[in-house]
Amino acid sequence: MRHKIIYVILSIFLLSVMVFYMARLAPGDPLASYYGDRAEKMSPKERKWAEDKLGLNDPVTVQYVRWLDRAFHGDFGISYKYKMDVMEVIRERMGNTLLLGGIGFFLTFGLSLLLGVLCTWHEDRMLDRVICKVGTVTSCIPEFWLSLVLILIFAVNLKWLPSSGAYTIGKEDDTADRIWHLILPMTVVVLGHLWYYAYMVRNKLLEEVRADYVLLARVKGIGKRSIMFRHCLRNILPSYLSIMAVSVPHILGGTYIVEMVFSYPGLGTLSYESARYQDYNLLMVLCLMSGSLVILCNMAAQAISEKIDPGITHTE
Amino acid sequence: MPELLEVKNLSVSFDTPGGIVQAVRDVSFSLRAGETLAVVGESGCGKSVLCKSIMKLLPPSASIRSGSILVKGADITGYRERDMQMLRGKLFSMILQDPLTALNPVMPVGGQIAEAVKVLKPKISKAELKARVVELLTLVGIDRPEERMKMYPCHFSGGMRQRIVLAAALAGNPDILFADEPTTALDVTIQAQILSLLGSIQKELHTAVIFVTHDLGIVKRIADRVAVMYAGKIIETGTAEEILTDPRHPYTWGLLQSLPSCSKGKDTLYTIPGMPPALINLPKGDAFACRNAYALGIDYEEEPPMFRVTDTHYAATWLLDPRAPETDAGLVCCGDHTPKPPDGSSENISKNNAIQNTRYCPARAVYSEIGAEHLYKNTETVDAEVDKNDKHGEILLDVQHLSRTFSIAKKLSVNAVDDVSFQIRRGEIFGLVGESGSGKSTVARCIMNICRPSGRGTGNVKRHVKLQEGLHKAAGKHPDAAADIRTREAPGTGEMRPGRILYKGVDIWDGRQFRANKRMLGTTRQIIFQDSNSSLNPRMKVCDIIAEPMKIWNITPPRGSHRAEAGFQMHYVGLDASCLDKYPAELSGGQRQRVAIARALAMEPELLVADEPVAALDVSIQAQIVNLFRHLQKEHGFSFLFIAHDLAMVEFLCDRVGVMYQGRLVETGTVGEVFANPRHEYTKKLLSAMQRDIFPQTRNKRQ
Repeated sequence: MRHKIIYVILSIFLLSVMVFYMARLAPGDPLASYYGDRAEKMSPKERKWAEDKLGLNDPVTVQYVRWLDRAFHGDFGISYKYKMDVMEVIRERMGNTLLLGGIGFFLTFGLSLLLGVLCTWHEDRMLDRVICKVGTVTSCIPEFWLSLVLILIFAVNLKWLPSSGAYTIGKEDDTADRIWHLILPMTVVVLGHLWYYAYMVRNKLLEEVRADYVLLARVKGIGKRSIMFRHCLRNILPSYLSIMAVSVPHILGGTYIVEMVFSYPGLGTLSYESARYQDYNLLMVLCLMSGSLVILCNMAAQAISEKIDPGITHTE
Repeated sequence: MPELLEVKNLSVSFDTPGGIVQAVRDVSFSLRAGETLAVVGESGCGKSVLCKSIMKLLPPSASIRSGSILVKGADITGYRERDMQMLRGKLFSMILQDPLTALNPVMPVGGQIAEAVKVLKPKISKAELKARVVELLTLVGIDRPEERMKMYPCHFSGGMRQRIVLAAALAGNPDILFADEPTTALDVTIQAQILSLLGSIQKELHTAVIFVTHDLGIVKRIADRVAVMYAGKIIETGTAEEILTDPRHPYTWGLLQSLPSCSKGKDTLYTIPGMPPALINLPKGDAFACRNAYALGIDYEEEPPMFRVTDTHYAATWLLDPRAPETDAGLVCCGDHTPKPPDGSSENISKNNAIQNTRYCPARAVYSEIGAEHLYKNTETVDAEVDKNDKHGEILLDVQHLSRTFSIAKKLSVNAVDDVSFQIRRGEIFGLVGESGSGKSTVARCIMNICRPSGRGTGNVKRHVKLQEGLHKAAGKHPDAAADIRTREAPGTGEMRPGRILYKGVDIWDGRQFRANKRMLGTTRQIIFQDSNSSLNPRMKVCDIIAEPMKIWNITPPRGSHRAEAGFQMHYVGLDASCLDKYPAELSGGQRQRVAIARALAMEPELLVADEPVAALDVSIQAQIVNLFRHLQKEHGFSFLFIAHDLAMVEFLCDRVGVMYQGRLVETGTVGEVFANPRHEYTKKLLSAMQRDIFPQTRNKRQ
């Protein structure tokens, strides 16, 4: 256990160092994001004063140590663009991303389990073949393209659904309106990942239904449905759960792209902007957050598979 | 009263891309309540398919072409899946070959049995259900059932799991129990336990059993009646007594003679030449004709009908036709077993004058002998004396105090090998026997530098406290009392002499000596593994596999090219040169094992280690491979460590034998000594489990 904690801390530390240095290597003017258009008209003296004020003239190492020191005290600095405390900015957007990513995540997994079972049930018959063909095609469509096509059809031509944003201005607390806005981005998130996982479930289940214990269960006189759900699904669940845990970042990455295309005010757009506008403090926190999520999810996956497999835990 | 199960002219075939496979052809038999029918034959003869087709458990690609299945007089041939589901568990049930995969690994065993009980009584109360599960577990001889029912399959040994499978299969009180090679995957001692359990349960519950096996040795113990299957057909059927003492079909003769105990004191084991035919394109006439030394001309033209021998005994061979010549064949090995000349009672053939008498003349078997059998029939007698002289040769391999511990968890470790010492001389065949998990393979791996012995680690050497002597003594006296896994505190500081393995005087686990003799060690020691399916690279052609070690060690092949060398070696082990460009998956199990042997022999080894080389093969193929080993060893004179759990094979092949039990070498000696006068309790148990008694018994009855 101690090893694991040290491993987590070490990886987060390394990540912070890398992001900190690399952000400063990227071309661009951080003052532009703080002062907007005024930055262009600044005299060299004003510029120096502004840079001093933001601490951008010190060597990078000094800047990093200062950042680290403040971070330990819970102060992650202010966002240059929003001129607010970084955590404030993130808190505002976090809910939106959690909504999109969270619901997308569970929908993806629920549906892929369903599809996988359906395919296995109708193995090599019409339904299975159709699902496989359609699935392969959808999984090949890039997310940004699919988003654009969907916007074109449902928002521009048919005008059924909104093309961007998380809610209509002035209706922030209207749940129905939020769901209204979620439909298109959610469709893209789910469609983009669905087949990848459904195919995995299908393959694993097909392996299971050929196992000897299924034969024995049939011999015992148990029906096809209980064999599928009580025996086979139960057997693939450990590996499926750990895949789920590992793929949290995968789906999160998907939502980032989707958020960008739909101008959805979430962490994805925020990360993109912070990187683009040299909003160093914001970028740092966002990167560390996603990084920790990846690491924690991997650990969770490991823990889950250890917990569920009776072979590992129940040694007397 | 109708028969419990009646199968009439059943034919089952599979639709495969390669063509239609006729897995079961025109099979008829019947079964009465409480009776045991043994279905015997080599693998690939349709035994399992027959069982599964009766229970309708075959994949969709299989279909019943013709025939009918009657259960208690009712025809179930046309039943659909839903109707069959009602019958399964209650009317018939099945136990499978491999108990390790037959249970769901993530479900407690009690739950898996309870499930089967619930099928029969869906409204059973919880308390009743539990009582029933406990009752079933007690029935199959599992101690502390209340505790055990909550455990998962991985906590049980193979034998225990097979008992649990049996409990689950018996949950619905079936009238018929199919047993599909239920003991093949188990050790000899466990095998005997399961067989006697099956017998007692059958008496208690009055269940009819269809027992599928390829081992005729088992048949004597359990079967009332026997059906011998070949190429999808039942070719001989009769009571167990009749089949074992008075077999009529040449195939049954062959099967009986293939039993190792039958070839005792002979130079080669009897084998049936060749392989069962692929069931896609069956040859014209009798499918067995090309492997049959007593084949008649007519065998190649027309399939023989069933001839009546007695009211219970039928056989499908033209030898029983009144016009066939008398044969002096039969069970030569058992002296008094010459079959009676065919009596005139065969009714089926009657007055078919169209068949000319000349067709009943013996024809020569057309099975193309591909070298192997021929090769060593000529040479086998020559080297018998040389063999004797070699016995006192120098010591080639000296294993001293070898130990190997595997740690499972921090404070838990298993002594896979515990203080094992033995020596192999030049030109000697040393057999290592013991049940699975007794550490035989680990010894082989340590000898081959694959697995590091304990106490020979690099750097920080953790020495383990030697096990308490008391525990060992207990283990010696009461083999059952000793636990499989011995727990103890974390490694202490006690001193223990680290084991050594000296090969030609070189300590192979000493880094410096190993490096200095690397080439010698790499080229003169060779190993053959049990599962040729996984030990040969599936993406390499046979000729590359055989020549690979030469390429690795930069040896110029003595016969010109690598390919020529591979071809020579293949001919040497009895493989056809046409196999050179095949991939391992295209070969049969026996052929693959021959490739593995050819690969090892291409290096002209001085020490050959074979880790259960025949355990995964059919009885008749086993005999072929063991014959090959015996012949090759005489030709080459290499030292041979033969690891097996089949005592009969060891008795036949080896000069000296070591018995391993729970990681310790409990007995060593020459084969004659150990088999005639076993000292250790475990050896005695092993020997009594060996089915060596079937022929003496039958002999007495006949006299």
